[in-house]
Amino acid sequence: MMKTILSKSSKFGIVAGIILIFCEMINLTSTLAEILEKLFTGGTAAKNAITPFYMGLVVGLIVFFTTINFLRTRNSQKKYSFGQGFFAAITISIVSGLLISLLNIILGSYLVNGKDVRVYLEALAPDVIRAFLFQTDIRQAVTYYFMSTILGSMAALILFWISQKTNQPAKSVRAFTHLKEKIQIGRAFERYPAIKTVLILLLIIAFLLLPLVINAYTISVLGIVLIYAIMGLGLNLIVGLSGQLVFGYVAFFALGAYTFGLLTAPKPFGIEMNFWLALLVSLIVAGIGGFLVGLPIMNLRGDYLAIVTLGFAEIVRILINSNLMADYTGGPQGIKNIGQPIQPSIFEKYFGEPLEDNVWFLYLIIFVFLIVLYAAFRLQYSRTGRSWEAMREDETVAQACGVTTSSYKVLAIVIGAAIAGAAGALYASRNTYTGPSEYAFMVSVNALAVVVVGGMGSIPGTLLGAFIIKGLPELLRDLENYRMVVFGALLIVMMIIRPEGIWPVKRRKLSVAPESIEILKEDLKP
Amino acid sequence: MTKKPSYVLEAENITINFGGLTAVNDVSLQVPFESIISIIGPNGAGKTTFFNCISGFYACDNGTVFFQERPINGIPTDEIANLGISRTYQNIRLFTNMSVIENVLIGQQPRLRSTCIDTLFQTFRNRREEKQSIQKACNLLDFVGLGAYADDVANNLPYGAQRRLEIARALGNNPHLLLLDEPCAGMNPHETSAMIELINTLRSQLKITIVLIEHDMKVVMNISDSILVLDHGEKIAQGTPDEIQSNQKVIEAYLGSGTENLVEKYSRRKADKGKLD
Repeated sequence: MMKTILSKSSKFGIVAGIILIFCEMINLTSTLAEILEKLFTGGTAAKNAITPFYMGLVVGLIVFFTTINFLRTRNSQKKYSFGQGFFAAITISIVSGLLISLLNIILGSYLVNGKDVRVYLEALAPDVIRAFLFQTDIRQAVTYYFMSTILGSMAALILFWISQKTNQPAKSVRAFTHLKEKIQIGRAFERYPAIKTVLILLLIIAFLLLPLVINAYTISVLGIVLIYAIMGLGLNLIVGLSGQLVFGYVAFFALGAYTFGLLTAPKPFGIEMNFWLALLVSLIVAGIGGFLVGLPIMNLRGDYLAIVTLGFAEIVRILINSNLMADYTGGPQGIKNIGQPIQPSIFEKYFGEPLEDNVWFLYLIIFVFLIVLYAAFRLQYSRTGRSWEAMREDETVAQACGVTTSSYKVLAIVIGAAIAGAAGALYASRNTYTGPSEYAFMVSVNALAVVVVGGMGSIPGTLLGAFIIKGLPELLRDLENYRMVVFGALLIVMMIIRPEGIWPVKRRKLSVAPESIEILKEDLKP
Repeated sequence: MTKKPSYVLEAENITINFGGLTAVNDVSLQVPFESIISIIGPNGAGKTTFFNCISGFYACDNGTVFFQERPINGIPTDEIANLGISRTYQNIRLFTNMSVIENVLIGQQPRLRSTCIDTLFQTFRNRREEKQSIQKACNLLDFVGLGAYADDVANNLPYGAQRRLEIARALGNNPHLLLLDEPCAGMNPHETSAMIELINTLRSQLKITIVLIEHDMKVVMNISDSILVLDHGEKIAQGTPDEIQSNQKVIEAYLGSGTENLVEKYSRRKADKGKLD
């Protein structure tokens, strides 16, 4: 028994040690310590003099979580006794402490000998290594490392012990679940549908007032998030509902953006069309593009659409970048001075002065977004949406039930493409510029991630996904170079905890009271 | 008014080859109105292949299938569903992540007319049709005894209920002909007798013609008007349950050759039983 605990806990210790080493190598440890210090002391921390306490805290936290995980992994029937847990926690902390100390002895001796490790690992400046050594010498630092790992795992052990002893959820948690049972939000909605309508209306009004109170930076982030939400809603119809994989969604986005650009910019054609008309035309052009892509695959089964659209996206990107089309698309330089809609004077009348340009444009995006949202809702909970979902579940059976799969497939692609076209037009108009570099493969991947992270086929999930994929990286700006690392880790954690997406789709209640069999007999007369 | 055709379904000399293997060889079948026809045979006899040919999953290499005197060879499955042929599957194939009522609504697809434009603008036609189809779905679910499950996810239903749901879904397009592929497979005696009752009501109340494949002889002998026996893709017998029970070829197909004595024994015992009664 002791032996298995020893081998298992030393494995956990090695994992914790490797995580610690990795974090130090990319200098995540000191960055996190810096952020923590900023949080607690109010932004006075200097980059080159991190207080040793916060370094220790970060190291301790990593060991803390490892130990908690170790103690939890036992199946619930067999619990560790306190002695066993203590033994395991000590093993974990010593093994991980050994590993991290080893790294720091090496780094420290380099520092003492005056060698610059930055040649090999660019994140490790001498200042950083000094922070790793807790601003003291090597021997002292090793003691500190062991202290923080042991303290971390002991804290985990004590916390786990306490939670096991009480063996019941904390009082506050119990009170919360009790409250939840008492309120029964879902049931209240069912009984009084008006409450739901009022809530939705309030939400929309709050949403509409939002652009007036936030600053310019938030406005620009919100604009991007909403444009991605529009794209996500379109892609959700294809991937989430009809179950066909699309890898090159950016192609339709680019089609919409370029059509809009060519119709409203002074160069090269000088048409300078009205905003709404141009929006409509770019929507239609993108829809036609979707139709052409859909035609060859309409009678095929499997993931052909993924490959076809992947190719189509590359063709579109290379074409708009090429010399061949440079006279029309501006080649690598793109199209400049794309038109923006003129603000109607009604705003001036009510508010005394016209809205700022970015606020006005955000309203425009919100308007289009709400229309798309309404359309997506309507389509999903209708005969069309149900047929798409049946196709996703089992295409053969759906067809045998009378769903004309080929035309429904093309319909999904056309509608999805048209929505992407509208998003592209908005995007081009918002930037007053469009160029080939904006339509890289990464945009398709992001759009797909919006749908998958939120929950396939779920509309609120897609909106949440748009916020997570485009909004969260902006919120994580503080982490600077590490935000993509942290973002990636968050995505992995998300997919482990909720593999079906954050907000998976819920089936609507549709049933009504049945009538007599006589009516059914009449109904079923062929 | 055209005169009523004499048969719902007529399959004439159906042959289906898979490469060198002849799965169904020159099989003919006539299905009169409001009858229940069973197809039986050992495993691999070509029963399901024959079914797949009728419902349009496979094209037959030779022969013709007439549905109400109209040839339906090579027509895609969705159009066959439009014509009024529905089927269920040997291994249950529901839309597992959709709710029970949504499954039945999909079954009504051929009878719905509203387009996605109607949906987007929420036209009168769309509202009325949606309401009617939901009502019909609930009636159907109530008919097969799943009214209480309507809003559950199909995957969570118990096994027997999933079989019933498949039948409810198949009824959605107002079928003339219902093809049931092993409706009682894997059921306990209680569920089996409930299924027999359901199939009988389908015919007596809703006037639907039924062709079924089944291995459970109790079911087959109980409800069939006529039985078609296939072995190695060939039709070896057709007749009423009594005729099939005493047919030498059928017994050989199931038990192997050299069973003449068995047949005699069986018929003698049957005769004895008759005397006793």
